[in-house]
Amino acid sequence: MTQDQMSGRDGEKRVGTRNIIEARDVEKWFGDFQALRGITMSVKEREVVVIMGPSGSGKSTFIRTINRLEEHDKGTIIVDGVELNNDLKNLEKIRSEVGMVFQQFNLFPHLTVERNITLALSHVRHFKKADAHDMAMRLLERVGIPEQVDKYPAQLSGGQQQRVAIARALAMQPKIMLFDEPTSALDPEMIHEVLDVMRELAETGMTMIVVTHEMGFAREAADRFFFFDEGVIVEEGTPEHFFTNPQEERTKLFLSQIL
Amino acid sequence: MTVAGFQIPDRRVAWRWARENLFDGSWNTALTVGMVVLIGVALYGVGNFVFASAEWEAITANRKLFFIGAYPRDEAWRIWAVIYVLAGLGGLSWALWSRISPLLAIGGAIAMIPVFVFMAHGEVALLTLGSLAAFGGGYAFGKTPALSGRYRNTARTVAVFLWIASLPFSWVLLDGVPTRLWGGLLLTMVLTVFGITIAFPFGVLLALGRASTFPVIRLFCVGFIEIVRGVPLITILFMAFFLLPLAIGPERTILFGIPVTGVDTATVQRALAGIVIFAAAYLAEIVRGGLQAVPRGQTEAAKALGLNTFHILGFIVLPQALRAVIPALVGQFISLFKDTSLVLVLALTDLLGAARQVSAQPDFIGRQAETLLFIALIYWIVAFNMSRASQQIEKNLGVGER
Repeated sequence: MTQDQMSGRDGEKRVGTRNIIEARDVEKWFGDFQALRGITMSVKEREVVVIMGPSGSGKSTFIRTINRLEEHDKGTIIVDGVELNNDLKNLEKIRSEVGMVFQQFNLFPHLTVERNITLALSHVRHFKKADAHDMAMRLLERVGIPEQVDKYPAQLSGGQQQRVAIARALAMQPKIMLFDEPTSALDPEMIHEVLDVMRELAETGMTMIVVTHEMGFAREAADRFFFFDEGVIVEEGTPEHFFTNPQEERTKLFLSQIL
Repeated sequence: MTVAGFQIPDRRVAWRWARENLFDGSWNTALTVGMVVLIGVALYGVGNFVFASAEWEAITANRKLFFIGAYPRDEAWRIWAVIYVLAGLGGLSWALWSRISPLLAIGGAIAMIPVFVFMAHGEVALLTLGSLAAFGGGYAFGKTPALSGRYRNTARTVAVFLWIASLPFSWVLLDGVPTRLWGGLLLTMVLTVFGITIAFPFGVLLALGRASTFPVIRLFCVGFIEIVRGVPLITILFMAFFLLPLAIGPERTILFGIPVTGVDTATVQRALAGIVIFAAAYLAEIVRGGLQAVPRGQTEAAKALGLNTFHILGFIVLPQALRAVIPALVGQFISLFKDTSLVLVLALTDLLGAARQVSAQPDFIGRQAETLLFIALIYWIVAFNMSRASQQIEKNLGVGER
């Protein structure tokens, strides 16, 4: 049985065979507190991985080590063939290939929606102004809000802001997208508009690591699923395995609380 | 209706309000009457002085001293050239950036005209009005279809460069006359404008250095800021005057055996150096507050996009940090403007120095009240306009902010 068939979907998307992210025995301390106690995980090209776990379990810390917003203290992380360490000369280049969407959106409040999207295009990718504008318009259409191009972030709803944030990350044409609880700061009626965009992105074959508590999204879009607790991976498997037949007591307890 | 937080009573209830608040009981009534008498006496005294007993000739006979000090009359065209260039640039910038009619700025300028006309004989009044025309000309140029439409962004970039270039340009032009002859309002403004514009970038660098992860840089910045903030400006001015020649320049002349005596031609530059050192330390602390007000998520989002440190500072962090502290920055600028009067201790004849000189002239001996009132009015006009400008800038930049 191939990897694709194991993902349980009918082959619109093919999960690759190459590991685009490899993390081995990753450990991270904040002072005396150990946030990650040896995480080993690999993600294949075009794979969608969902990470769940209680707060403080290290799931956000882990995905932040992948674009080095947090430096890991032990273990190795290899992203697209490049190992992350302190000697890295071109950290900016690696980061520009890993898009990230934050819980609090983190749009730049003093810039228009267009400038939010085109800033890095102009200064990292050296796009011409007109090309950057075209790219911004294409992406805004893709996330469904082209009419907001000249607005400032504060003039948009939370759901619209998060969609702009996704467009901003996509503008760099990243190979990997990281989502750090992208819907946790949203009102319930705005969650679905963001999840729709993410679902569509998953279908186009983007490699994604998503930290979320949205069960519906995990069930439909995830290829693989990880449950974190206290800085370790407690359980991993397909969503089916997870939702129908969890093995660990800690997982069962967590699921019973949020389902 | 409220003004500055006070309830202003409706006209119909004014009398009732007065009775309830000012005349409720014999004690309060006595207090009210007493205060009214006191205020009346004080107002009468001041009014009587201003309109009757004051000898305003002390001012009118010394117009030139108050405005440009010992700057030769024949060379005054240099000052006018600077004023015209700055007024034209101001008008142009207003057209390119502000969303508000220039009538406001012109209104402020017109309010100042009586002062200048009172000061001026025909020629100077004409030239003053001319600078208003330069402002209008710059504005009209900025509002031409080409500049307000297609080439707006180019025009803005050029305008920024022109402003930067206008500083050395102004200095070189004014420097056709030795700085020891500069005086009055001219000297006050030169010290303020150059003090602020030179100190500001240093202040930003010091603030960034204080937040640096390199211990050497951080220690140097913290040390500089804390030492300078612990010393009075007047001390720094003296130190700049006596130590600067030892630290840079003239010590070489001592090495070659040439003695340095008397007031150096570079007193103005030394005073300026002292002001810059002092202002940079205070500005650094204000900017640091702004840097701390920018959420960490902003830097993280910028990093995640692959922007480098300079881009993150220039496009994301500093614009938000400085915007957050505009009121405090302008407050610092205003106090710096007033603090320049301390250069009096270096025997420079700034606005305050001019006032002191006038009240020592044989004809006007002891006319301190007139001269001090007059320069107080000038200080107030400039400071008030700086404060107004800051509100304007805040309004212009406030778009899109919550």
